[in-house]
Amino acid sequence: MEKIDKIVFGDNQFFGINHMSQEKAQQLSEKFRDLNRIIEIYDIALGLGINSIMLNSNDRAREICNYFRNNASRYSDIKWYPSIPYPHKYANLVAEKGIVQTINELVFKGNTVSDILGMISKGGAVLFNKDVIKIMKLLIDLEMRIFEGLDIKVVFLQNIITDLILGFSISEVFKEYCNYIRKRYKAIPGLITQNMPYLLDKLNEWGIDNVVICSSFNKIGYLMSPDINSYVLASKNNNPEKIQIMAMSTLASGAIPPNAAYEFINRQNIQSVVFGASSERNIEETMSLIKL
Amino acid sequence: MGIIRVGIIGLGRMGMTHFSILNPRKDVEIVAVAESSGLIRSILGKYIPDIKLFEDYKELLDAGIVDAIIVCTPPNYHYPVIKMAGQRGIHVFSEKPFTTKSSEGSELSKDFIGKGLVNQVGYVNRYNDIFLKTREILESGIIGQVMRFSSEMYSATVIKPESGDGWRSSTKHGGGVVYEMASHSIDLVNFLIGKPDKVIGSVLSRVYSKNVDDIVSSTFTYKNGVAGTICVNWSDSSFRKPTNKIEIAGTEGKILADQHSLKIFLSSENPALNLIKGWNTFHITDIFRPVPFYVRGNEFTRQLYEFIDCIQGEANRNLCTFGDGVNTLQIIEAIFEDYYKNSTL
Repeated sequence: MEKIDKIVFGDNQFFGINHMSQEKAQQLSEKFRDLNRIIEIYDIALGLGINSIMLNSNDRAREICNYFRNNASRYSDIKWYPSIPYPHKYANLVAEKGIVQTINELVFKGNTVSDILGMISKGGAVLFNKDVIKIMKLLIDLEMRIFEGLDIKVVFLQNIITDLILGFSISEVFKEYCNYIRKRYKAIPGLITQNMPYLLDKLNEWGIDNVVICSSFNKIGYLMSPDINSYVLASKNNNPEKIQIMAMSTLASGAIPPNAAYEFINRQNIQSVVFGASSERNIEETMSLIKL
Repeated sequence: MGIIRVGIIGLGRMGMTHFSILNPRKDVEIVAVAESSGLIRSILGKYIPDIKLFEDYKELLDAGIVDAIIVCTPPNYHYPVIKMAGQRGIHVFSEKPFTTKSSEGSELSKDFIGKGLVNQVGYVNRYNDIFLKTREILESGIIGQVMRFSSEMYSATVIKPESGDGWRSSTKHGGGVVYEMASHSIDLVNFLIGKPDKVIGSVLSRVYSKNVDDIVSSTFTYKNGVAGTICVNWSDSSFRKPTNKIEIAGTEGKILADQHSLKIFLSSENPALNLIKGWNTFHITDIFRPVPFYVRGNEFTRQLYEFIDCIQGEANRNLCTFGDGVNTLQIIEAIFEDYYKNSTL
């Protein structure tokens, strides 16, 4: 399969996300309130030779994408690795309205009349024929709108969705997701998970390949179910010609010093690392340590 | 016991989460779902053809095909569902807040203890790595005698005027910030400090909801002189994720805990527990224990696995029984009573 980039620049640091400390998350969210601060960091990373960016479709991703679209001439070779959806938006809606009503709201609210007509003709009035795959495709399109016009390499499904469907063991949803991403976005389908060995087993069982799995992968086994040894073994036995593995949370939110973290990562059969950092020194250091 | 046959009653957000967590476990087979929405039933039936689907939970319980059920209906249905399950000898895991009346909860607790059935309520914080460690620290007695505490929970769940439809908009049906969210903070107090003897100074406020409250604060007192407060606000847009915090002050030290970190202050060192004098900080990355399958957090998996382990006879008692659920309901009722009694003066 087509190779993904070995180093991808992540986005958690910009959006007040830190799994270890809420205080640190809050500080970061204040630091990056201004879009210009975010762009400065991207410019540093790109200047150091990174040319691929992973970005979750949250509220702030829109302004980031707008900036890169409006300055396309300066940023011509960036490959984008969007992850969808932004789960908290849906979690709150579902908590308030329930699942059926949420789907209604997402599909019909916040869209213009022509959008809705377009979707209905495409989806064949999805809500009435109860076709979950068509609903999924509509939701993917809604989430992917902010990335329109950017050069998309991989589209990742967030772990909350991947792992929920994985638990239900519904192969059709994964197959349809992968096919749709390939066909509609000409991109490689990606799946983020906290259960990499189990997902890998299931994908092999279902005959799904040419996908990227992104999962936490770190020396202390943080956010790695069922355990670290299963991850090491699963990646060792994986054939990267069929499924590529991307590691995230390699520093376990800062619990592991970079040297030790990448000394471990470099020994694994991993094809790519996504990392986030908010200073030139840290970006440079991380890039020098990753040797896949 | 071999394979445990499980039924899910109510396939909303929590029902789906529990389904997904339990389904990969090798000694569990999810054989049936009762769900009133025809849309959800038809989707599930299409992708999981072997599963038995029921519109009415009574038919599921009467079919004699399950050993255990996971109850995820709106809270006002919990009592009749669980009552009937108990009569059929079925083990029950119920989502919180268990029932809407503590008297009904007590009756169910007696039923299940009498029949030797596994009974559990989904106060998931009891299975969180940090709060489990917090309890361990408290039980070790190293912060001395507990004097004061505050238990807080914040989220951006209701941050715009809402329509007022559905069970979540009715206190009688178990909706509103007290049943849905403060119940977690109250249960955490019961788990870590013990059940309060008296509730005073309760205040309920509405921000955006039409028929239910959005903020609650209250003071708990104990016969031994301990006192503490709770403050829960689900209309706080500054929080990206629901956040629980607890602060516990003792005669010899202090604990600050949330889902991600644990800070312990000691007035003298404790070499046995490897703690220094002054502040000791632990992050979730220092404390976590991985779970077999992750969907929404280690604690969600851990609580359901313990439920199954109890049925299998591999664990003696779970950390959150119906009796624990009743204790939380009694405090909830005391808060409402305290507020309405005093606000009419």
